[in-house]
Amino acid sequence: MEILKTENLTFTYAGKKQPTIKNVSVNVNLGEFITICGATGSGKSTFLKLLKKEILPLGEKSGDVFFEGESLNTISDLKSASHIGYVMQRPEQQIVTDKVWHELAFGLENLNVPKNVISRKIAEMASYFGIEDWFDKSVDTLSGGQKQMLNLASVMVMNPKLLILDEPTSQLDPIASSDFLSTLKKINRDLGVTVIIAEHNLEELLTFSDKLMVFNEGEVLFFDSPENVIQKLSESSPFINYLPTPARIYKLSEVNGKCPLTVREGREFIKQNLKNNDVDLFVKDINTSKTKDVFLEFKNVYFRYSIELPDVLRDLNLKIFRNEIFCILGGNGSGKSTLFSVASNLEKPYSGHVKVKGKKLKEYTNQSLYKNCIAFLPQDVQSVFLSDSVSEEISEESISRFNLESLKDMNPYDLSGGEQQQVAIAKVLESNPQILLLDEPTKGIDKASILKVIEIIKDLKKSGKTVVIVTHDLEFASNVADRCALLFRGTIQSVENSKDFFCENNFYTTVENKMTRDYLSGIVTFDDLKNVFEIK
Amino acid sequence: MFCGDGIIYLISFLGALSLYLFRNGINNPKTHLSSFLFFLILTIINPLVSHNGVTVLFVINNSPITLEALIYGFFASILIISVLYWFRTFSQIMTSDKLLYIFDRFSPKLALIISMSLRYIPLFGRQIKKINQCVKALGSYNEENVIDKAKLYLKTFSAMVTWTIENGIITAESMDARGYGVGKRSRYSNYFFSFPDVIFILLTFVLFMFSVFLIRNKSFEFYPSFSVSFSDESIIGYVLYGIIAFVPLFIEVKEELKWKYLKLKI
Repeated sequence: MEILKTENLTFTYAGKKQPTIKNVSVNVNLGEFITICGATGSGKSTFLKLLKKEILPLGEKSGDVFFEGESLNTISDLKSASHIGYVMQRPEQQIVTDKVWHELAFGLENLNVPKNVISRKIAEMASYFGIEDWFDKSVDTLSGGQKQMLNLASVMVMNPKLLILDEPTSQLDPIASSDFLSTLKKINRDLGVTVIIAEHNLEELLTFSDKLMVFNEGEVLFFDSPENVIQKLSESSPFINYLPTPARIYKLSEVNGKCPLTVREGREFIKQNLKNNDVDLFVKDINTSKTKDVFLEFKNVYFRYSIELPDVLRDLNLKIFRNEIFCILGGNGSGKSTLFSVASNLEKPYSGHVKVKGKKLKEYTNQSLYKNCIAFLPQDVQSVFLSDSVSEEISEESISRFNLESLKDMNPYDLSGGEQQQVAIAKVLESNPQILLLDEPTKGIDKASILKVIEIIKDLKKSGKTVVIVTHDLEFASNVADRCALLFRGTIQSVENSKDFFCENNFYTTVENKMTRDYLSGIVTFDDLKNVFEIK
Repeated sequence: MFCGDGIIYLISFLGALSLYLFRNGINNPKTHLSSFLFFLILTIINPLVSHNGVTVLFVINNSPITLEALIYGFFASILIISVLYWFRTFSQIMTSDKLLYIFDRFSPKLALIISMSLRYIPLFGRQIKKINQCVKALGSYNEENVIDKAKLYLKTFSAMVTWTIENGIITAESMDARGYGVGKRSRYSNYFFSFPDVIFILLTFVLFMFSVFLIRNKSFEFYPSFSVSFSDESIIGYVLYGIIAFVPLFIEVKEELKWKYLKLKI
């Protein structure tokens, strides 16, 4: 039975000539789990918004959307509000009220549900989603992952039949996003709720999706089971990059047979199809660091935000050399972002000191630290933007250097995540820093943009800059870093060359390494894997 | 409360202080110290500005400092300090959930606005700090230069406005998507009025009316000269008022004892 149907759906934003959605006709059956993928700007988000009457964007729409056989134009407000749930990208901004319990009750209050019924329903939801422990808390004490879980719960409490999610995990760290996705899976399997989700990172999602919808420039390219879509994709298609690693190597290796989607299947697949199994890629990087200058140094640094709170950094010692790309990895709340605030003198340690280019931070007076020396790009790049257009944010020179001409007149807030990141990096580089601190530069951006960011960072290294990155993204770190460190409970646990670091870790390592570690050594990045398969 | 009766002020002050101390102990000496300083300053200020009264203590700059004004200042600052202490306990006990419950009776819309403000005001504060740190770390402004500093604040402010509007749209969409404005709203609160609460409020009200009636005659006269006269009626009134002022403490003590007893059974 179909729950949703679109007929020749076409949509043009007000003031634009080209339609963003072109002639989309799809059927969604009851209880299906559908994943939508596509490059930024391919129309995924617009398509999802067209399915929800209340948040229809401004513009010209033709064709029609039917929910349970009823056109969205004529459907009652009440039905649309309660039966179609919608979860958006940013966890913080979707929350309306100040308390967790009130947020859960908000949707039901809108539907004029009696008090005792609300009471029962939110109790039910809170226990299903495991939010009993923070039921009475203020929402601003929650972590990003908890906030997004709350958003999902406060939509689910209205008992929707169709759940639409627009990149819900893009702002979350890997553990929180994995939690979120498995809850989604549970909702779909247990409660039979139809799920339509748009995501950049398909690694986990494809293993339990019934269908994959690929968007390209406003059109649906494919809409079929993940296996079939992967079979149909051509080898040169840019969508190969979006696939999970096992599927990607399958696609490139041109082996016939069943497509591996999970790490387990990938392990079997590689074992069976290995062409070149006596390569040992474990070439230790020859360390030429004997004469390296220490550029940034932490010495016995202790830091806490206030007296009552526990230490965030404790006895932290770290040396970062000139002209290297250094990645700091670690879980949530391990103090990664705080480390940057301390390094850029925005917060001061209560014991120990930080030296930049051999000089203690307090010797840098009158902003000299921020001129030609150190620059810090925070996680939330929106807080860097102070003007209404890109050309006011950054100079002409930077615009041409980063090929941002096409974005010149746009408002930074209207850019996609990847574009915002590029503009922000360009802006930070204006003060000509020698050390660049990047906090989660790949958060919430698509695969193509990640490749672009990697390219930019490698270029920066070539031009003699030192780049320090804090990230959750292991694939990204393995591709970009010279050295990596693991931060755990405010202390650096291990500092090693990137390759050694990932090969010696058992859990904290890339998918490529997990798939091959039992029978091959030294495979960390996708390029290593390609070498084994002798793919150019 | 603002009846010009010193005994009432003192009772109220003792009630407020003892309740606060019972709930919090003496863990926060800074709070008490600042209240005491505040009290001293207020007491001293009154005789400096008001020169009524007949008993001149001494003369500064041709203006007489009178005993009556000093006494008046003393009682007035007792009043203000006791209000402070009452509100300190009030803000601990009356959490936003309970306040919301009360506002809900009058206007559900107002209650929602309050709930949203409680969330957004701290959120704005954090975002301003974030933007400020970013701007600082970008190195485009010189902190020691006043004009640069003003420019920086202006920039931060305009960035903050943009951020608010951009993110407000998302919140509005999220509200719409969950059916805000579809029809009549019901209201939910996780706090409920119990029967003892009603009894308690009625009792307080009755006691209060009685004590007002009994202390209707002014027993304190500050100006021109300080005099106190009590009638039997007013003494009963003070006792009744004392009950009102100390009931919260009695309840706290009772609950504490009950809790201690219950803990023994665990």
